[in-house]
Amino acid sequence: MSTGSAAAHPAAAPSLTSVFVRLKLSLLRNGLRQSTGRTVAYVASIAVGLVFAAGAVLGLIALRGNAHVGALVVLLTGILTLGWAVMPLFFPAGDETLDPTRLVMLPLRPRPLIVSLLVASLVGIGPVVTFALVAGSVIAVAEGPVAAAVGVLAVVLVVLVCVSLARAVATASVRLLTSRRGRDLAVLSGLFIAIGAQGVNIAAQKLGRPDGLSVLEPLGDVLRWVPPASAISAVDDAGHGAYGRAAVGLSLTAVVLVLLLWWWQRTLTALMTSPDSSTLQAVEKDSGRQSGSGDRGPARLLPGGRTGTVMLRTLRYAWRDPKSKMSWATALGVGLLVPVVSSVQGNGSIYTAFSASALLGLQMYNQFGQDTSAFWMVASTISTPRDAYQELRARALTLALVAVPYVTLVVIGTAALIGPWSSFLEVYGLSLALLGALLATGALSSALFPYSIPSEGNKNVAPGQGAIAWFSLFGGLLIGAGLSLPLLALTIWLHVAGLHGLLWVLLPVGVVYGAGVAELGLRVAAPRVARRLPEILTAVSKG
Amino acid sequence: MADDGEQIDERAGSAGAEAGPAAAPGGSAGPDSGTAGPPAVRVQGLWKKFGEQVAVSGIDLTLPAGRFIGLVGPNGAGKTTTLSMVTGLLRPDAGLVEIGGHDVWRDPVAVKSRIGVLPEGLRLFERLSGRELLGYIGRLRGLPGDEVDKRAGQLLDVLDLSGSQNKLVVDYSTGMRKKIGLAAALLHNPEILFLDEPFEGVDPVSAQTIRGVLERYTASGATVIFSSHVMELVESLCDWVAVIAAGRIRADGPLAQVRGTAPSLQDAFLELVGASDRGAGRELDWLGGGGAR
Repeated sequence: MSTGSAAAHPAAAPSLTSVFVRLKLSLLRNGLRQSTGRTVAYVASIAVGLVFAAGAVLGLIALRGNAHVGALVVLLTGILTLGWAVMPLFFPAGDETLDPTRLVMLPLRPRPLIVSLLVASLVGIGPVVTFALVAGSVIAVAEGPVAAAVGVLAVVLVVLVCVSLARAVATASVRLLTSRRGRDLAVLSGLFIAIGAQGVNIAAQKLGRPDGLSVLEPLGDVLRWVPPASAISAVDDAGHGAYGRAAVGLSLTAVVLVLLLWWWQRTLTALMTSPDSSTLQAVEKDSGRQSGSGDRGPARLLPGGRTGTVMLRTLRYAWRDPKSKMSWATALGVGLLVPVVSSVQGNGSIYTAFSASALLGLQMYNQFGQDTSAFWMVASTISTPRDAYQELRARALTLALVAVPYVTLVVIGTAALIGPWSSFLEVYGLSLALLGALLATGALSSALFPYSIPSEGNKNVAPGQGAIAWFSLFGGLLIGAGLSLPLLALTIWLHVAGLHGLLWVLLPVGVVYGAGVAELGLRVAAPRVARRLPEILTAVSKG
Repeated sequence: MADDGEQIDERAGSAGAEAGPAAAPGGSAGPDSGTAGPPAVRVQGLWKKFGEQVAVSGIDLTLPAGRFIGLVGPNGAGKTTTLSMVTGLLRPDAGLVEIGGHDVWRDPVAVKSRIGVLPEGLRLFERLSGRELLGYIGRLRGLPGDEVDKRAGQLLDVLDLSGSQNKLVVDYSTGMRKKIGLAAALLHNPEILFLDEPFEGVDPVSAQTIRGVLERYTASGATVIFSSHVMELVESLCDWVAVIAAGRIRADGPLAQVRGTAPSLQDAFLELVGASDRGAGRELDWLGGGGAR
């Protein structure tokens, strides 16, 4: 369709549209030419996408005739559109042809450029899946030949609106996304995805109940007038003879498409003709971060020497580095969530408080991967196992600085919410022992199984190192739990033998045991770190 | 700081031995300063393979102390791999590396305190500000906090980074990153400085600043070993050159000796790596000003 109009405005000798389409196809093809692991992942993601689309289409067709299917497809279209709108914000590097700043130096006019970019964006697995879902939605609601004709129009409009929405949003936010702050935000977006997944989970549970689809009706009533979902409801209306409503629904979507294209062209022109951040940043003055030697404020309280230096650096990174911040936020959030959710659901036990120890203890894993290739600075200052021990101990202390008060609060909170208080000392002692065991195994696995954490995007493992990461995390968690077995055995024995009056013993024993096992782990790991510095550096430099 | 006194003594010794000018004859047999203690770097039979690809194939090299030494070679010649192995950041498959007479892999305590490194392609702790980064690395090296802050302030001044000292390194330009990396490498006053492509992507003003600092540093008798593929730069800065291509040393010795009869180091280099007679293609007959398309 739009190919013709592009040919009518020739910008250069070969049609611009075909150039962009071929560029897109080459990029897709080159995705297959990477390492075997990536190729497999790439093919698998395409296969999963297609299977998902096919399943969704079959499901929609099966729902044909259901009383609430109208509301469902409208909602589905709405979610799909929302997905397209936020996708470029979360995956800015997902599509290289999306970045118009790469085209700035080429002599291109905005209108033919937009047509070409739009056609090129229709190539890919995302548009195919979208097309399948929208077509399935139309099939689910279309009744009669008029509805079918409106349906064809609706599919075209919805897909075009989705794609141009993504493009327009990407163009409008390219300044933000190419700045450092924007990329930092993109890394943190993983949190939003996790929260969104939780929402989807709850929604799916509600819809899964008998007659669950009726929940959608009020939402559907509103969404049916919101483009591009209005085009889908137009198909439904046309099937019931409400031609006026159908026409309004379709034209609403068409108007939105035109508006989107206009907005996109405007931002694209503005973007390609005004100076970008690389020029403006040079004038920017010192950002006025608190100056001085770094020995002020609370930093003064840290011990001297390597220990305090490493602790201060680690704490600064926890706040300033988006990856570290994200992993801290996840650990703190989920560690709290498990006891809270289980108490809300009413089937909680005070033992859910262990999640706080487990998640924070796992922060000790892959310590050097968190440094990225800047680990060379650490490596060049470690000459002896003693240096390595101090480095590891400082990182463990930083973790403990946050983890010990946090675990204390979570255990107190869980005892208060779920109870019983009589188990408080026992659970607290066991939690601290588990934390110590995880610090120990974390130190050792940091030495033996380091892997890269790419600093951009949502991935936390460099391609090809996934197995190492899973092995070290899950193996470590198992071994950490195993190391806590003596204390667990003591707990069970005290319970079985009926010595409930002595359960308080678990707190001091847990504290001593946790500290002891952590110290032992650091001592075992340190010489291995010192011996393996170049190997660790190579492993963590892949991101 | 007993170490400091020792360093100064050694420097004085090597500076004295360096009295002979750079063009001293017979350099290829090894360092011409046979009397002044160990060479800065001694490498024997150094090998490194990445999968099937041999990056460094049996390098033997002796670099004298107290010189400004250039390691030159085309892209992919093995410069970075060699420097990484020499500085202990990458483990060689085979071979011996000694710095100031100490084995890099057996005696890291003696080696790591004596060298400063500015690697290429590895990051810094970029979420620290320039000043915080220097404070961090200085303290990791075991220097007292006050001394670190004093030296950091002076280095930031000399390298023209004072205005950006509180900005995060992640927001620095390439030239500023090289300069803060250089400051981090110099902070503990090393005897030998290894710099991998210190002038790559650096603007002329920053390059001149870096140059000034390095010249001052070598004038005191310290050794600088840096890699580059800009021959004019090497020719104007160095008094000793090693040419590396395809993972092997093609020539090494005092600058004048490596240059030989060639008009410039560039010509000598092209001849050594076998790229001298690749003429500017006659095929490009359409290329020229004036004619459109």
